[in-house]
Amino acid sequence: MSDAKRVDPRRPYRMASSGLRRIVLGEIISGDRLPAGEKLSSSTRSKPLRTNVAASRWHVAIAHSYRGRLDDHAREAIAAAAILAGPETGVIAAVLGPFLEDAALLGADKAVVFPELDASRFQPQREAATIQALLDEYQPVHIFMPDNILGDGDLGRRLIAKNGNSSATHVAEIDATHISIPWSAGSILAGAPLPRFVLLQAGAVDSNLPFLGLGEQILCSGAMGVAEDCRDLGMECPEGASIPLEEADFIVSAGNGVSNVATLEDLARSLGAAVGASRVAVDDGKFPREKQIGASGKTVSATTYFAIGISGAVQHLQGIKVCRHVIAINRDPGAPIVKRADLTVIGDAEEMMQALIARVSQARAQTEAAEVEE
Amino acid sequence: MNGFSVAVLISAGRHPVSGAPRACRGDVAAMAMGKSLVGDELRVIHAGKRDEPSLQDYMAYGAGTIDVIELAAESDVCSALASSLGEVDLILTGGRAEQGLGSGLLPYLLADALRRPVLANVIDAKIEDGGAGAFEARVRQFLPKGQRRRIAGPLPLVIAVHPIAASQLKYAYARRVSGRTEILSDLSASNRAVGPNWTVEMVPRRPVRLRAQDKKSAHARLLSAIVSETKGGVVAFEGTVVDKAQVVLNYLREHRLVEF
Repeated sequence: MSDAKRVDPRRPYRMASSGLRRIVLGEIISGDRLPAGEKLSSSTRSKPLRTNVAASRWHVAIAHSYRGRLDDHAREAIAAAAILAGPETGVIAAVLGPFLEDAALLGADKAVVFPELDASRFQPQREAATIQALLDEYQPVHIFMPDNILGDGDLGRRLIAKNGNSSATHVAEIDATHISIPWSAGSILAGAPLPRFVLLQAGAVDSNLPFLGLGEQILCSGAMGVAEDCRDLGMECPEGASIPLEEADFIVSAGNGVSNVATLEDLARSLGAAVGASRVAVDDGKFPREKQIGASGKTVSATTYFAIGISGAVQHLQGIKVCRHVIAINRDPGAPIVKRADLTVIGDAEEMMQALIARVSQARAQTEAAEVEE
Repeated sequence: MNGFSVAVLISAGRHPVSGAPRACRGDVAAMAMGKSLVGDELRVIHAGKRDEPSLQDYMAYGAGTIDVIELAAESDVCSALASSLGEVDLILTGGRAEQGLGSGLLPYLLADALRRPVLANVIDAKIEDGGAGAFEARVRQFLPKGQRRRIAGPLPLVIAVHPIAASQLKYAYARRVSGRTEILSDLSASNRAVGPNWTVEMVPRRPVRLRAQDKKSAHARLLSAIVSETKGGVVAFEGTVVDKAQVVLNYLREHRLVEF
């Protein structure tokens, strides 16, 4: 040991209000060093409010919810309303259908929720009348909607037809003064000044916001006594396996780790899911070519993707880029799919599938029994 | 005679890459639906120029005689169509035009002008006789996630057809040559359409994404650059197979991905 004076790299410090570590030489702090987990507290600290001024004008974003949540496309519409709002402009998110999220995180100052107007029911005239009443009440400067096929594109066009033609659809680029749309649906853009009604394409806005809205939630009921011209004769819900993969909402997918295809099909049936496969499983002849998911197969947009025995090669992950929830069963904890998956279960595919089939059918029976009692 | 009349509106299609004139795919689907409903009694209507080259393609698909409402490029299509289609019981259109704005608004504006209901994203349709001259359209509507909705709507009605609707029409050169156009009305001096003036850019480019301005301190920016985001979710190692199955089921239930 030399006698050279050494600097303790973990010498006492205190955190300044700006989040910087501050070392004052010679100062003795009473020994309470920050625990390791709190060092990054400044980056995960809750975000500031977008504005502290009371709203005098409004931006409205309108979207249907899906299973109580708003999808990324709908979040982008709310984000656009919040980003383009000045300090004295408030943001209202009108949600059609049940809404279980925190509106403040989406940037909305008010969330007006109409739980009866969910997308599974066909009531366009009632929806239009309800939203029209909302627009008449608040007189918003701009109205933002996702231009999707879930029902918002349809509702938006109905509103535009009623409210005159300051509107733009399929908007791919937006800022405070102008919008651009793909001309002839191609790669050439055409610009115009920002209109009152903006129907946004997916991906036009980054929905990550550095601020919060006030997030006040108001439950409303839809307009009463609106007669519909057209009658809803109900939904056709095709059985999971018969849905084309590109359209399916729940996909159970098999890879090299699956030896017994019959078990996988049983699992897919019990979950009501479509069946997909990785390239290896298709090349082995276990599945037909049209079931292949990935770069040389199909690109899927399911909400839930259940990858069983799939290691997760980049070519496969390309095909599931937009899937919201990825659940994986794999024997290898180091497989690349573990990095992509929201939940990974380490174990043997066959045993896990058997256990899941048993557990799912048991849970289904319990729920059905409970419903019968009610 | 069927007791009801059907018209399909066709637009000037363009190939998305070559720009060559062709029949717009959505409009061909709409024409196929019209043909399946009333056969050769279907009226095929085009609002635009009389010598539009893509009309030949529609003739090849079996349009027969195309009625042209002659319009100047900038005039209001919707009011011209509304004034000449008032008597038609069922108006079929494609989803959106392939050329220019392609907003998909026309069926809605037309339905609003004619005060009749509109149904969009329809993939097949049948007409049922309700008796006493009242007809009802039974349609299937395309919805995402493999779902389809069945709707019944009384005539008169406007239907926008989804491009995945099945089209059995065959292309025949003989029909392309024998087809004719007829000038329905000349409204080329009609009032101009009001709307934003679109300035079309010359060079293709990617649209710029709108991002919120992030007023972070330099230190916070540095931290976000050097601290990699945590990748991957929960990993369940321990427990029996049954426990792990329960973990999966809990996840599905927590995020409301299953109904039980």
